[in-house]
Amino acid sequence: MKIFSKKDRRLGVAHGTRKYDLPLEKGNGGSFLKILMGLMTILAMFAFVASFALSAMTERWSAGLANQATVEIPAENAAGVLLSQEEINKTAQDILVFLQQNSAVETVTIMSEEEIQSLVSPWLGEDMEFNDLPLPGILSVGFKEGVAVDTKNLEKRLKNFGEPIRLDTHATWLANVLKFTSALNMAAMLITGLIGLATVIAAAGAVQSRMSMYRDELELLHLMGAADRYISRQLQRYTFISCFQGSAMGACLGFIILFITSLIFKEKEIALLPNFNMSLTEFLILCALPVLIALLGMITARQTVLRTLAKMP
Amino acid sequence: MIKFEHVGLRYGVGPEILTDVNFTLEPGTFHFLSGPSGAGKTSLLSLLYLGRKPTRGLMKMFGEDIGQLNRHELKLMRQRIGVVFQDFRLLNHMSAFDNIALPLRIMGQEEKEIRENVEELMEWVGLGEHQHMLPNTLSGGQQQRIAVARAVITRPKLLLADEPTGNLDDEIGLRLMNLFDQLNRMGTTVVIASHNTMLMEKFGQHSKLILDKGQARLEKSEPKSTLKQRIGDMF
Repeated sequence: MKIFSKKDRRLGVAHGTRKYDLPLEKGNGGSFLKILMGLMTILAMFAFVASFALSAMTERWSAGLANQATVEIPAENAAGVLLSQEEINKTAQDILVFLQQNSAVETVTIMSEEEIQSLVSPWLGEDMEFNDLPLPGILSVGFKEGVAVDTKNLEKRLKNFGEPIRLDTHATWLANVLKFTSALNMAAMLITGLIGLATVIAAAGAVQSRMSMYRDELELLHLMGAADRYISRQLQRYTFISCFQGSAMGACLGFIILFITSLIFKEKEIALLPNFNMSLTEFLILCALPVLIALLGMITARQTVLRTLAKMP
Repeated sequence: MIKFEHVGLRYGVGPEILTDVNFTLEPGTFHFLSGPSGAGKTSLLSLLYLGRKPTRGLMKMFGEDIGQLNRHELKLMRQRIGVVFQDFRLLNHMSAFDNIALPLRIMGQEEKEIRENVEELMEWVGLGEHQHMLPNTLSGGQQQRIAVARAVITRPKLLLADEPTGNLDDEIGLRLMNLFDQLNRMGTTVVIASHNTMLMEKFGQHSKLILDKGQARLEKSEPKSTLKQRIGDMF
């Protein structure tokens, strides 16, 4: 293959071999598509990372609270009379013995006064004087894994030690949290879907604009007997390369932004997503985004071209 | 081979450009297509190169009824037709070589064969030195030769040319007519739309397809002399 100098190009000499029969590399339409695909990729990456983080969080919470329950001995009895700390401690001891005899229970511990104070201090303030405050008694219960526990019956029997005593399996709280996180996850997936739709529309628009820009050339190929696939292959290839280039640049930028964000979070000690580390599979999914977006663009280009060519006689 | 029976053509809801066209062109014949401006020459050519479908009538090419062909068969039919457009319709982003090679690439020919064929033809039409030039940097005559070379590179069964010698000097014009004649002798049917009465006189052995008021009539001329003699007469 001959190598031509810049001077040759100025003189109107073709350089290298042709890539496309249509002048697809002329004009700024390609750059626009690349920038758009880059932005789409960044947005898709954020949506995916948010989804991964929410899934990890949900999993951690579910695992942390599985087979766990709390027995709460309120500081006042059914008649509304405050119990003394000694009375609460005695009831807690009785319940401890009762639960230790239950075959479904693996561990049971009475939480110390200091532990209970540290649990309530975030709501009441660090400077709160706890000596004057009636605190409930709390027992932390761990059930054996795989053993079905009749919590309703257990709570009924616990009420023999005092009517207001409650068994909290965290199920209601967890269910609400799971509903919330799965709604957020759905929103992330919906955003990803919208990004995919925007990619399809952008690719179709870019291809249609190229086709109307080079309608004469397209018609010429058609009149020479070029098969629709011959023409569509060129636009498919062009769209795939443009989308991939734009998307790959977007992915690189996305990784940089995510890295900087994680550094800022660590620096500022923002523990919104404690100890969230991406797994290898999740990382590979993000790396595959440019290919997926390019493939989506290519398929869209093919359909758009074939539909347009079908209108020609 | 090419048969038009009561063919009509209109654009959209406008009046009929071609009202009742009837003619038969035998395989391997040579015809000039003439007629006054606005008679419908370009429209008739567009029907012949299958750029349009007639709005009525029967149109047969290579023994096939065009109206009955599917999309794929129409593509194959188009590959058997070479066209020289009046405005050349060259692709200015690719070299003269690639423009001429385009129909062969569309047909899926091997690159080695393409190179041999295109280089030989480019030498023949006097563009051997301009293989890598972009068409818009060449003269009108050179562009026209690229357009002609692109039309004949596949050795089409039907060659259509719209004013093919319009921008050429006499010598190059005659060389091209000689090329058309050679193709015709090899079995290609040639239809040339032209206003050039001198050219038609010089090659008066060929019949004329005259279009007037949307209708066509075929005037067959008796051969007076051989083409070689006629070319000789011009110098």
